[in-house]
Amino acid sequence: MLILYVAQSTNRMLSLFKEFFIIAVLTSVGVAYSLFSGHAPAPWVEAELDAGEIHMVDASVINPIWVDARPEADYAEDHIATALSLNETNWDDGIFSLMGEWLESPRPIVVYCSSSSCDTSKRVAERLRNELSDAEVYSLHGGWQP
Amino acid sequence: MKRSALPPLINMVARLVVAGTFLLAALPKIGDPLAFAQAVAGFQLINGVLAHYVAIILPWFELIVGIGLVVPAIRRASGACISLLLITFIGLHASAWQRGLDISCGCFGTATEPTTNYSLLILRNLLFLIAVIWVMRRDFKSHTRASEIAI
Repeated sequence: MLILYVAQSTNRMLSLFKEFFIIAVLTSVGVAYSLFSGHAPAPWVEAELDAGEIHMVDASVINPIWVDARPEADYAEDHIATALSLNETNWDDGIFSLMGEWLESPRPIVVYCSSSSCDTSKRVAERLRNELSDAEVYSLHGGWQP
Repeated sequence: MKRSALPPLINMVARLVVAGTFLLAALPKIGDPLAFAQAVAGFQLINGVLAHYVAIILPWFELIVGIGLVVPAIRRASGACISLLLITFIGLHASAWQRGLDISCGCFGTATEPTTNYSLLILRNLLFLIAVIWVMRRDFKSHTRASEIAI
């Protein structure tokens, strides 16, 4: 009876390990395909800029209209000199100030938030591209920290 | 006495819904790993390079276990992997919610999805987790019966 129980348990464990092994092999094949087909850049190579992004060093050169997409409390604490506050919560007020500035002196608009991992600047930039179709709009790569 | 056809039906529906969701979530991530890497980095738990590794491996893993849930040969391990993934996702979302992060979920690949509604997301993943546990329970039972007969 005990031998039978042990045999059954071993059989079950082995077949479960076999299933995990098959999943691991298939996942590895998929990952290899992504890397070797060029679908995914190798993680050890530094990623290039995404579409619509700009480096701080390049943005500083073009004297843009800076748009601060962080929460208003952060903006009040500190921001890039001349930056306007515009985010998803104060959109209606902020867009008028921005349009005034842009119509007065048309130049590229660069939107920033606090780090490379915040998404607000990308969303605000995308929305600006839709609403100000003639404007050149970028989001700042890496974000801005006071 | 005739057994109800309802449990097998629920089992099949739960299996197909979870498998389909994992498939739909994995494909855009495989197509655009950079966008997914951004979404992963948004959780601010791992650095950029590690986020790229996750962005390449995780979508394939999701795809394989998603398909695996409907393939008898690997469905028990797939169910176990999906459960672990869902528990991890719930933990990650709870952590991001607690830290007040303004990020998109990245569930379907991009960092430009609308900002996450954490409570809904956690609820959805909990429902998926219940569904997978239901499916797995039946898979393990039927496999145990089969191995007993074989021995």
